[in-house]
Amino acid sequence: MNAIAFLLGLLVLAYLGSILVGGRAIRGFGLASGAEYLVLGFVLGPQVLSVVGRPLVETFQPVLLVGVSWLGLVLGVSYLRVGERRVPVPHMALGVGMSALVAACVSATVFFGASYFSPLPRDEVIAFAATAGIVCSETTRHSVRWVVERYGAKGPLADLAADTARASALFAALSFAVVNAWLSGAALQGISVSGRVLVSLGLGVVLGFTAALLLGREFRRDESWGILLGTSLLGTGAAARLNLSPISATFAMGLTLALVSRHRLDIKAMITPTEKPVLLPVLLLAGAYVNVKLPIPLLVLVAAALVAKVLARVFFGGLLSVTAKPVRGVGLEFGGSMLSCGALGLAVALALTVRHPGVVADTVLLLASMSILLGEWLGPGALRRALARAGEIKPEVPPAGAQPTLPSEA
Amino acid sequence: MSGHGGPKKTLATRAIQAAALLVTFGVLYGVTRVTPELESHLGTVTAIGFLLLAGTLMSELLETIGLPHLSGYLLAGIIGGPHILHLVDHHTVTELSPVNTLALSLIALAGGAELRLDTLRSVARGLAWATLIQSTFVLVCMAGVFLAIASFVPFTQGMNIKALIGVALLWGVLAVSRSPSACMGILSQTRAKGPVATFSLAFIMLSDVVVVILLATMLMLARPLITGSGGISLEDFTVLGHELLGSIAVGVTLGLGLAIYLRLVGHQLLLVLLAIGFGLSDTFSYIHVDSLLAFLAAGFVVANLSDQGPKLLHSIEQTGSVVFVVFFATAGAHLDIPLLRKLWPVAVALCASRAFFTVVACRISSRLAEDPVILKRWGWSSLVSQAGLALGLSVVIAKAFPSFGDGFRSLAIAAVALNEMIGPILFKFALDRAGETDRHEPVIRPSLPPAAAAE
Repeated sequence: MNAIAFLLGLLVLAYLGSILVGGRAIRGFGLASGAEYLVLGFVLGPQVLSVVGRPLVETFQPVLLVGVSWLGLVLGVSYLRVGERRVPVPHMALGVGMSALVAACVSATVFFGASYFSPLPRDEVIAFAATAGIVCSETTRHSVRWVVERYGAKGPLADLAADTARASALFAALSFAVVNAWLSGAALQGISVSGRVLVSLGLGVVLGFTAALLLGREFRRDESWGILLGTSLLGTGAAARLNLSPISATFAMGLTLALVSRHRLDIKAMITPTEKPVLLPVLLLAGAYVNVKLPIPLLVLVAAALVAKVLARVFFGGLLSVTAKPVRGVGLEFGGSMLSCGALGLAVALALTVRHPGVVADTVLLLASMSILLGEWLGPGALRRALARAGEIKPEVPPAGAQPTLPSEA
Repeated sequence: MSGHGGPKKTLATRAIQAAALLVTFGVLYGVTRVTPELESHLGTVTAIGFLLLAGTLMSELLETIGLPHLSGYLLAGIIGGPHILHLVDHHTVTELSPVNTLALSLIALAGGAELRLDTLRSVARGLAWATLIQSTFVLVCMAGVFLAIASFVPFTQGMNIKALIGVALLWGVLAVSRSPSACMGILSQTRAKGPVATFSLAFIMLSDVVVVILLATMLMLARPLITGSGGISLEDFTVLGHELLGSIAVGVTLGLGLAIYLRLVGHQLLLVLLAIGFGLSDTFSYIHVDSLLAFLAAGFVVANLSDQGPKLLHSIEQTGSVVFVVFFATAGAHLDIPLLRKLWPVAVALCASRAFFTVVACRISSRLAEDPVILKRWGWSSLVSQAGLALGLSVVIAKAFPSFGDGFRSLAIAAVALNEMIGPILFKFALDRAGETDRHEPVIRPSLPPAAAAE
């Protein structure tokens, strides 16, 4: 397949994604996380059919880099609000805290497992453990939102689920900045790790401020696109050239915009519909990047990381049922519902694959992909059960035909 | 490209824009100094962001002194490009060619969609005379000027008079090529409406076809003069005829398809335009179809055979607001400043005489066609700009005559660089003076209702 044909294929996927967002034609089609496109990419990719060869996939690295960074911007811009409602600080803290704890459990499992059972050198073990924790720490807001909207759920548990899912992005974005700075190659050698972290986040903050100032008093959509695209691409490229984390930079930029721009709702309304059209091609490319031909010990470690993630989520869900009132009595289900993951974890894994290719990056990407599939399988169902048991789903609301699959939210 | 006018920007807004421009240059300057050697794809991503942002800001700042946005985009590219600050290197500029492909397809589509049959009828007489006079008078006069200054042109040294005449005729063809992109860029920014705008658009789009035919003719005539062997062959015309008719046929088909899509579906036009711009341009090139002409025909069909023209134009304007900035800023980065410095006396002489003969030709054709006074006075203003089309012609000529091709191309690049910088300024000035630019405040699109902000 040549590059133009592949590009057209990606544009078709983006078109499909925009229809899913628009929700006019095929609302309810597809899975919440878009996992089917990941599988499609894998099947078309070099590992199975080789319709899309490795050189061709690598030709699209800039597209991938821009795509994952744009996802970081979207997450940053929409971080502070669910719809128009601000995410309460306690919920935010809970989301970040749970993500950090899950990441710690997964990282510890991988670290000890890799130290004893894998042939990786020490530095790579640390990198592997850290990024494995990061990709497992996120909960995608899409599947939570789908369940909540699909079943007309309303109440404190639904709000808590939506808020903590949204808040979980912060940990992944910031901690990847740290890991990437630690991994950083030739550029910025004279600067310490903390200095590099500050540079990657500072770049995003400066560009976010710049964009907020330029968007000024009146908001004109046509001009705003130029400013937002320009600043995000400059941030992405600059961070990548410095071997820093572009996702963290664009996330910081988005968060800055959400905090300081008077047009934060307009910007959010502009940018969030672009998430699916960007995500689906990224998922397809990610699928084509997935490499399953890894040493057995690494495959075992992927499985171990997934088990650790499930256990950690369920355990912390159980703990929450004791401490948080809305979760009372549904802790295990709530913990299970937080297994859904998507864009950010995958974006982190892809960024690692693009910037630091190798066996560790391949393993992390495989883990992120498996995590998405597992989350898709377990997460939405668990949340539905939790909401039903908490009495936040009205019995008559589920439409006929909603049971067999878990369609995408629009 | 943002619209002309708008609410008056305060000093504070301009200060913010200037500060943001400094930040933009500063960020990339710092990064390129820390990492001078780069992987090409990272350079491309950074360059697009930089050119987009710096071009937009520079255009806003130059607006204060009445210069068109296009000059701002070009200037941002020149300053950031390989010859001054070296923030965007040669390789990256080449890597950005897909953006140019996309921009040119959008420009041609929009150009076609702007051409309405009824307005064309109204300027048909003037258009016919202008095409005839501009294509013959300017070509012959510029060939004469080239002959006159041939002793100062490095690559013509040692040529006999026959060969010089051949080269001069080729230069004449180059001189009658115009810039559809610059014309569309200025019209898009100023939203100009009136006889000068209508005439300029129609003439430049038509001249694109005329120049292609002229080039084939002059190549046929010049070959025996330059090489001193072989006769005139009409085979080139057969190929050209096939290409032109094929391009129109393909364009009409595409236009009908687009019109049907716009009517039946009508959304996600950004993605459709991207697919058309990237996918079809490549396909057209593969099947030897002139993509500019095909897209022009497609836009014309949508505007004149359906009621979907405004929708198409609006979508192109939205997409173009980003793509055109990068396109023109890249063109600025592409300008070969050292070459211009080397060849500037000859280039200035050629550009000045071209502008002079263009004005004279315009006066003659306007008198013959009995054009309105405003057209007599300002009709020439859009014809000074040159850009990608002229450079494309120089590449074709360079390939056809390798013995002097490189020198010819270098001089063409230098001359086009001057016309590219001066032409848009003249055109905007003329539109302003002719009272055709929209000086009313545009309607600021309201912020989206809060419901839309919910995701």
